[in-house]
Amino acid sequence: MALFTLENISVAYNKQNILQDFNLEIEEGKFVSLLGPSGCGKTTTLRLIAGFLESNNGKFLYKGKDYTKVPVNKRNFGFVFQNYALFPHLTIFDNVAFGLRLRKASKSEIEKRVASVLEIVNLRGFEKRYPKELSGGQRQRVAIARALVIEPDLLLFDEPLSNLDANLRENMRIEIRRIQQELGITTVYVSHDQEECFAISDQVAIMNKGIIEQLSDPATIYNYPKTKFVADFIGFKNFIDFEDQTIHENEIELTKSGYTFIVQKNKENSDTDKKVGAIRPDNLVIRPIQGPVTSTKNALPGKVKIRTYLGRSYQYIVETPIGDFTVNQEMLVPYQVGEEIILEFPANNMVLVK
Amino acid sequence: MRNRTIYLLLLPGALFLTIFMVIPILLTIGSTFFNEGSFSFEGYLHYFQDKYFIGILLTTLRVSLVTTFICILLGFPVAYYISKVGTRTKVLLLLLSIFPLLTSSVVRSFSWMIIIGKNGVLNKLLLSIGLIEEPLNILYTPTAIIIGLVHLFLPLIIITLIGVLENMDEDLLTAAESLGASRLGVFAKVVLPLSMPGLVIGSILVFVGSFTAYTTPALLGGKQRVISTFLYQNATTLNDWHTAAIVATIMIVITLLVTIIMNQIAYKINPKG
Repeated sequence: MALFTLENISVAYNKQNILQDFNLEIEEGKFVSLLGPSGCGKTTTLRLIAGFLESNNGKFLYKGKDYTKVPVNKRNFGFVFQNYALFPHLTIFDNVAFGLRLRKASKSEIEKRVASVLEIVNLRGFEKRYPKELSGGQRQRVAIARALVIEPDLLLFDEPLSNLDANLRENMRIEIRRIQQELGITTVYVSHDQEECFAISDQVAIMNKGIIEQLSDPATIYNYPKTKFVADFIGFKNFIDFEDQTIHENEIELTKSGYTFIVQKNKENSDTDKKVGAIRPDNLVIRPIQGPVTSTKNALPGKVKIRTYLGRSYQYIVETPIGDFTVNQEMLVPYQVGEEIILEFPANNMVLVK
Repeated sequence: MRNRTIYLLLLPGALFLTIFMVIPILLTIGSTFFNEGSFSFEGYLHYFQDKYFIGILLTTLRVSLVTTFICILLGFPVAYYISKVGTRTKVLLLLLSIFPLLTSSVVRSFSWMIIIGKNGVLNKLLLSIGLIEEPLNILYTPTAIIIGLVHLFLPLIIITLIGVLENMDEDLLTAAESLGASRLGVFAKVVLPLSMPGLVIGSILVFVGSFTAYTTPALLGGKQRVISTFLYQNATTLNDWHTAAIVATIMIVITLLVTIIMNQIAYKINPKG
């Protein structure tokens, strides 16, 4: 059963719709990420769940109860901000104890719980310091401790790692995942960093222009994107808009400008409305033109237009009769710009999207 | 070399202040300890036994503190509102709020005389709607002085508070709310402590301004003396410069003391401010 549900939520800023008829269901104990480019409505969704902003219409249900009009301070959700939002005039202890004091916890209880939560985030011994005296990573851990100590029903993260440097970011995301699993708190996490979301989440919702394009586990999204937007967002740089489609028993045959392509059939691509082929630059293969011709299917004649050295591999932009394609290929002796080549599309690496 | 020459930039200002402020103040303070050529505290002892003078001192202190307090109460919501509006509205509202500082205090005080006088606008209005039966005696009382001073000094507290409120991270308030704080709790536990630096500077400006104000109390206070009108009276009417110097010294010391106390209170509320 869903822990909470957003039903037909609409939010508008300055007469511009950020979310319209937005729906989302999240199960108890799950770590769900909202991922998307800036302006896709992910932060708005999170702030709406937290109660920082109100929806124009629609409903927010928490454990079946209508939470739409429940004010922020009565929701008991923990929120972790991008800029940490620690109280600069309070010590680390007082920052963490803030929520407990408001709940009128006894002095001994406060001391016990603050100590245990600082233990979880590995910050024992920092109680008397002020936020200014801590590093970015430490501050973010204080922010997490402050949100955890109130034993929230829901933990909300708004791009919590984007102000940290790359190394720290990786450590912190492991920390966040560990803490979440240890405590089993349902978590909604907003980020624009794809790798971060995939590494940390049970489920990822890819958002675009105020709607969820796909909500699945990370592996499904990575391998079987459903829409062109999702495919593009997670790195399928090459697209072919097919004209015709024939579904066979084990494979799907598609055509474009007289060229035929075969895509292996799987449970994700048998919809007849999916007629856009998508393939990652790493999965395309460039073959010299004088080699033996294995099949006329899944292959296009082409010419190398641009070559870029990426270190591990070379990146080519290849010009073909049906458009340009980006290819990454590891090789010692690269193809020359202007060289005529054959571009191959392996049948098991192409996915079909809407 | 550069470091040394840069101090030269301070020289004109420092020289000016030394010649025309520091030395005269020191001379004034020094002169109060000499009575007919010999060193003594007699002047001070005399004044602290004088009930009339103590009365004036206490009235002035009370008027200044009440003015400061009212300015804080009135200024905080205004400053909070102005700090939240768009840039263009902000400029307009700021201009409007500092307007009292741009008018002459004589003009301002006479306006208040017309409003709160015995036959003034306020009394006529209250009488005509039957709220009172006798005209209120506001003019020439400490209340009149307070009204005039609040009008004059409210802009100072608004401006200094806008400074701190503008820089306050909105997320801090949201964070406090998400941890369970009510609007009032957010104000008491986050907004107020973080406003302390501006609040202290504003309060000191208002207090010192009120404590030393001359025109407003002279015109609105009538026979009610405050310390600066008392000083003026001694110096010019009675030509008693020795007394005037003693009163001036007492004013300086009290101003310093109150400034220190306000800083201490601020530190208690927000040790990091």
